[in-house]
Formats: sequence, structure tokens, C-alpha cells
Amino acid sequence: MADIVRKHVVSVEGPTVRERLQAMDDSAVVTEFLGGEERAFSELVTRYQTRLLNFVYRTIGDREKAEDLVQEVFIRVYRHLHRFDRSKKFSTWVYTIASNLAKNELRNRSRNPLVLFQTVQKNFQDEDRPLQFEDTTARPDDMYRKRHLREIVEETVAKLPEHHRNVFVLRELEGKSYEEIAEITDCNLGTVKSRLNRARNSFAEIIAPYVD
Amino acid sequence: MDCREFCEQHVAYVDDTLAGIELVRMQRHIAECESCAKHDAKIRRSLLLFRNLPLIEPSADFSQRLEARIRECQGEHLLANTQRNLRYGAVAATLASAVMLGYIGTTLYHRTDPPRDLIMAPVVATIPEPELAPITTSTPAIVASVSAGLSIWPAALFAEQAPVRFAHSKLQLTDYTR
Repeated sequence: MADIVRKHVVSVEGPTVRERLQAMDDSAVVTEFLGGEERAFSELVTRYQTRLLNFVYRTIGDREKAEDLVQEVFIRVYRHLHRFDRSKKFSTWVYTIASNLAKNELRNRSRNPLVLFQTVQKNFQDEDRPLQFEDTTARPDDMYRKRHLREIVEETVAKLPEHHRNVFVLRELEGKSYEEIAEITDCNLGTVKSRLNRARNSFAEIIAPYVD
Repeated sequence: MDCREFCEQHVAYVDDTLAGIELVRMQRHIAECESCAKHDAKIRRSLLLFRNLPLIEPSADFSQRLEARIRECQGEHLLANTQRNLRYGAVAATLASAVMLGYIGTTLYHRTDPPRDLIMAPVVATIPEPELAPITTSTPAIVASVSAGLSIWPAALFAEQAPVRFAHSKLQLTDYTR
């Protein structure tokens, strides 16, 4: 009987805690985790996994590697969360970790000429691209056009210099403020604006012939 | 506003972070300058394309893999803690041994006198004489003992050497004067 009651209590308590965590802001969830609530970490993972994956993927262009790096981000968060300065934004901290890991990955790749950004991305797009994003109700020529356009956009982003691409993705995809980008990329505000301006101009220049 | 200034301010213009007056100046320039208007449209269209790229989702086993890695991490953390505690214990034991050896060494080094037998001062056992408090007042009990034919001093001694509980018990004095 006691077991049944305990099970019932647990099953009732589980969703309640999860709901409570979902309603909290990042800072409160971090406090919960540091207070011993392990489920708070799962909440952080749920909140950030897709956003970080897209950020890292757009930066390095390799989906599998992006997943590995995002996992590494969460491992580092788990290990070092007690050192996190809670007067700052959690999202900025987590993006800083992701940005540094992506930068290291690109640096390692540049040392190894066999693995290039474009090669990895092209292979991924040709062979492993998930098709769930395709609109199956559309006409085949529309689908082809959409896919073609997406490839061009992704290739264009990949052509941007690394430090421009990083700022560009953080601003256009993640919607980060200039100040946050400056903190994440460890640059001053002027540099961020300048890089963003150049990245936008370069991107528009490259893609313009395909769009017009 | 000239085209150069327009380009410099364009990032803030696209992001809607310009102050009111600057914003109006930019809008006026676009209305007047065809080249800058084209540039603005080109940038905005390209950004729209990028922002509308479909998001990719984590693979199905992403959470499981992460959980497994977190568990590994916890295991490593526990192991590291244990090893650190053991290391601290070993260091503490070594330090304690070193201090103890140092103390013994110092004691032996400074000890020059030959060992002597321990001589204690002689102890003489004596029985202290009981102090008898003088009876200053005549209480009804003493009066009663006198009338019963008992001598006063043995009665007083008896009362003094009575057990503690007896001494602490509440005595009810009898009044024979009635």
C-alpha cells in the first residue's frame, strides 16, 4: 500500500516539478540545479539543444560534428555550472562555450586540409540531408527550387570568413544583441557592428545573382 | 546625409536601433538615392532568405547519448573526489608522521641528563578532626531532648552526621508549648 502511495506521489510530483521548472527563467533553473535538482539540467538541455545545434551547424557546416560539439557544450555546462557568474546571462555563457568550441573545430580543420567546410557540408547535403523539411504537397519543380535555394544560402554562409560568419549567425539566426555578441565573441561593440555590416554586404553580394 | 554615412548607419537601420532623427534621415536618403535604396532592398531580401532557413533538430538519440556522457562524467567526478580525498589523507598522514618524528628527534637531542627514578614526596595520611559547630540557640528539639533525659552533645553530633537526604528532608518542628 505504501509503495502504491509512494508511486502515486512520485507520478504526481514529477510533472509538477517539470512544469515549475518550465515556468522559471534560466537563472532560476540554474539555481535549482545548483541546489541539487537534477531535473533542472534536463530543462536547460531542452531549452538550448536546438538553438545551439543550429548555431554550431551554421558555423561549422557539419551536422554530426555539430551534435558532438553541442553535447560537449552541455558536458562543460554540467561540470562548471558552479563556477558560472550568476550576475550574467546564462544564454551568453552557453553561447560563448559553443562559439569557442566551434572556433576550435574550424581551427583544427584548417590544420587538416583533408576536411574542408565546403566538402563536409556538400557531402552532408547530398547524402544525409533529412527530407522532413520538404513540403511534399508542393510541385516537384518548386521543391527543387526550394532545395536549390537553400543549398545556395548555406553555401553562401559557409563562404563568409569565420569571424564574420560567427557574428552573422549570432545576429541573424539567434537574434542576439550587439552587446551579447561582443561578449560571446570577446570583441568590442565597434568590431561587432563592423563585422556584421561586412558579413551582410558579402552575403547579399554573393546571393544576389541567385535571387534576382 | 550622403551615401557613405548611410552605409555606416545601415546595420543599425536594418536592426531598428536608430534614434528617431537618424531614422528619419535614413528614410529620406533612401527616398532620394536610388542606389542606396537598391542596396537596402538587396540586404533585406538576402537576410530574409537566411532567417527562413529551416531549423535542424537534434537526432533521436541525442538525449540518450548526452545522458550516458553525463553519467560517465558523474562517475569520473566521484572517482576524482575519492582519489583527491585519499591523496589528502596520505599527505596529512605523512605530515603528522613527520611532525611526530621531529618531536621525538628534538626531544632525544635535547635530553642530556641520565634517566632518574621518579621520587615522590612522602604522603602522611591523617584523619581530619570533625569541626563541631557551637550551639548558640536553643531550639524546641534541644529542649525536647533535655526533657527526655538525653544528653545534648550526642544528639547534636547525631544530627550533624546524619545522611544527606535526611538533612535535606523537611523537618517539622513540634511545638510543646501548647
